Amino acid sequence: MIDVQDLTKTYGAFKAVDRFSFRVDPGEVVGLIGPNGAGKTSTLRCIVGIQAPSAGTISVGGHDIVKAPVDAKRLLGFMADEPQLFEYLTVMEHLRLTARLYRVRDVDARARDLLAELQLTGKEHALPAELSRGMKQKVAIACGLLHDPKALLFDEPLTGLDPLGIRHMKETIVARGRGGAAVIVSSHLLHLVEEICTRIVIIDHGVKVADATLAELKAHPELAAAGSSLEQIFLAATAGDS
Amino acid sequence: MVGAFLYLTACSFKNRLRRRVQRLREPRYVIGLIVGLLYMYFAFFARRGRSRSAEGVSALAAMAAPMQLFGSVFLLATAAIAWVWPGGGQPLAFTRAEVQFLFPAPVTRRELVHYKLLRSQLAILFGSAIATLVLRPGSLAIGWTLMAGLWVVMMTVRLHLMGVALRRASLAAHGASGLARHWLPLAGVIGAAGVLAAAVVGAWPALRTADSGEAVFGALQQLAAEGAAGVVLWPFRALVRLPLAASAAAFWSALPAALALLVVNYAWVLRSDTAFEEASAEHAERRASRRAAPRAVVRGGTATPFTLGPDGPPETAILWKNLILVGRYVSLRTALRLLPLIVVFGLMTRSTQAGGVTAFIGALSLPLAAMAVLLGPQMMRNDLRQDLARLPMLKTWPVRGAALIRGEVLAPTVVVTAVAWLLLILAAVLGGGLKPGSREATAFVAHRASYLAAAFVVAPAIILSQVVVQNGLAVLFPAWVAVGASRARGIDAMGQRLFMLAGILLTLVVSLVPGVMAAAALAFLIYQLTGAVPILLSALIVALVMAGECWLAIEGLGRILDRTDPSAVEATE
Repeated sequence: MIDVQDLTKTYGAFKAVDRFSFRVDPGEVVGLIGPNGAGKTSTLRCIVGIQAPSAGTISVGGHDIVKAPVDAKRLLGFMADEPQLFEYLTVMEHLRLTARLYRVRDVDARARDLLAELQLTGKEHALPAELSRGMKQKVAIACGLLHDPKALLFDEPLTGLDPLGIRHMKETIVARGRGGAAVIVSSHLLHLVEEICTRIVIIDHGVKVADATLAELKAHPELAAAGSSLEQIFLAATAGDS
Repeated sequence: MVGAFLYLTACSFKNRLRRRVQRLREPRYVIGLIVGLLYMYFAFFARRGRSRSAEGVSALAAMAAPMQLFGSVFLLATAAIAWVWPGGGQPLAFTRAEVQFLFPAPVTRRELVHYKLLRSQLAILFGSAIATLVLRPGSLAIGWTLMAGLWVVMMTVRLHLMGVALRRASLAAHGASGLARHWLPLAGVIGAAGVLAAAVVGAWPALRTADSGEAVFGALQQLAAEGAAGVVLWPFRALVRLPLAASAAAFWSALPAALALLVVNYAWVLRSDTAFEEASAEHAERRASRRAAPRAVVRGGTATPFTLGPDGPPETAILWKNLILVGRYVSLRTALRLLPLIVVFGLMTRSTQAGGVTAFIGALSLPLAAMAVLLGPQMMRNDLRQDLARLPMLKTWPVRGAALIRGEVLAPTVVVTAVAWLLLILAAVLGGGLKPGSREATAFVAHRASYLAAAFVVAPAIILSQVVVQNGLAVLFPAWVAVGASRARGIDAMGQRLFMLAGILLTLVVSLVPGVMAAAALAFLIYQLTGAVPILLSALIVALVMAGECWLAIEGLGRILDRTDPSAVEATE
């Protein structure tokens, strides 16, 4: 569903991502992890079309994000780490706007279900200023999930959520994966990645250093000595950069 | 601790300056800087040279007497408002970062107050320098005394407002008893206003019978310098005298009193030990929120402009969203702000013999309609200029760049067009203010419908064209445009704005040319054949050609937007 081939992203002379390739199939939940400045956010922003790749190709559901951006974006849902909401639109108006942009017909029913799933029932007519940071995050996630995307990208999805919200968010992500969506979760919370991801991609200095299931990583001859937890494996793979 | 504060202030200044210098690597900022410097040269220095040679006296000397009177009254009003205005006496303004770093640090309140005074020096010195340039003193020596005098005035005002803020915070902290103690400053302000009012009432017969403006002004000056009014105004007059000193000797003679006032206010501020931290922290949060949001308050619960269905072009959805933006900010308070204007209009109408309110509104509507058409697109920013700060999010939408821009330009075009049409209808219906029975009025009435229809057709095209240019500049030169609620500062930014305004007007003229030429050719042909000028048809051709130009421009801009990297949209300072 998501196919990244030889992605390179440069900012002036600085190469943030260097010939990075990986793919995410339907039903997979892939954890994208790496130290600060490793190139995770640049990769996500290239996949969703916020930034253009300097080189390489990205396709979503067979649509090239550069050549056919509208078709590719229609399949995508991106949940950024910092919720970006229009401060003058209510929660329901955000959902209606999203429904129109993504051509979602049964917006009322879907919105009702999503708001219940994300514990936002009763907040339909609230403006962002009346919501907490965590609730804003949930509104952004509801907008991202409204069109039932086939490819989902979460950038630090647990930021600002309370313990109950964290549990629900994990369930939401896993349910989408089980439902057949291709999911990428970028997070520094390694226990989250360990718990919900079916495969892990580690990136460091813009270069892929690992792409395997947790079991495969644990069995890897060079990483096995580091320990059995993802944290130990991650530190060994990135040589303690973080 | 002073060393740390000096370090923070110096680093902030140095880094801000460095950032502005770094921006000059881009040619667009260099152009902006050149335009800004040229504007300042022609506005201040060149004019100064001309005035010296032509008049031989400085503008300052000519304006010293009225400035002394009005300056002292203005300072009195500033102090009075700070004391009595509800919501006035804002807490000491700290930024979020200052709150986070300094409030938990082992720093006393007195040191925090000193820090704020230190930070205000740059603004006060810059303000004094700019005011000195504007007031154009006759010589360099007077220039220095003017600048030093302005510094003393601004610093004293700053200290007094700080003291008022601390005092009011202290009174508020004491609850009902504190508020009850607020009667003293309130009584002081009312007393001072009463003394001044009584003095004016006492002198009213003389003022009424004065045979010239100079005589009235002389009487007012005498009033402000003598008796009870003179006593009330003395501290303010003593302050204002300093920058307006015509010679070095006058400056030194005025200095002790002004300095004494500064010292008294300084001692008063330092003696205060009000717990302002909580109020200041809240204020910092509110200020940060205001910067993040386009306006201070968004009202919920208002109806949407229309029901947005699930089907249809994305442009309609963006129009819907941006019209909501307008609706959520228009409030009763906004409408009430227009009330003084309406009252003034009413009074003006009463004083004219133009046929009452209706004729007056009719006469006023036409220039207002022209203003709406030409200035509305600059003021109405519910489009990409507002949304550019959210460009990363917009770029995740499954919408082509051209469709996005089309949707964005619709809302300001619709709103400004509605205002312009309303004013045009008023102008046409109420007769345009022409003298009844005159030849112009008869001709106007005869062709009123045609003119109105032509204006109706052309106005949206002109508005759309300007909105497209504004949004085009946002796409092509994002760093030049005030993104969201923020606004770039500096001479280069000012130059850019002037440059942009000139560019917008030039583009408007250029975009009008093809349509006007086509319409003129057709009109000439029809005139030759029929002897009549087809006003409406000509207007329609102009509008259609301009709409076509806008469509092409949007398609081109859309492709650029599709390639735009959001990191190009830099945050303004």
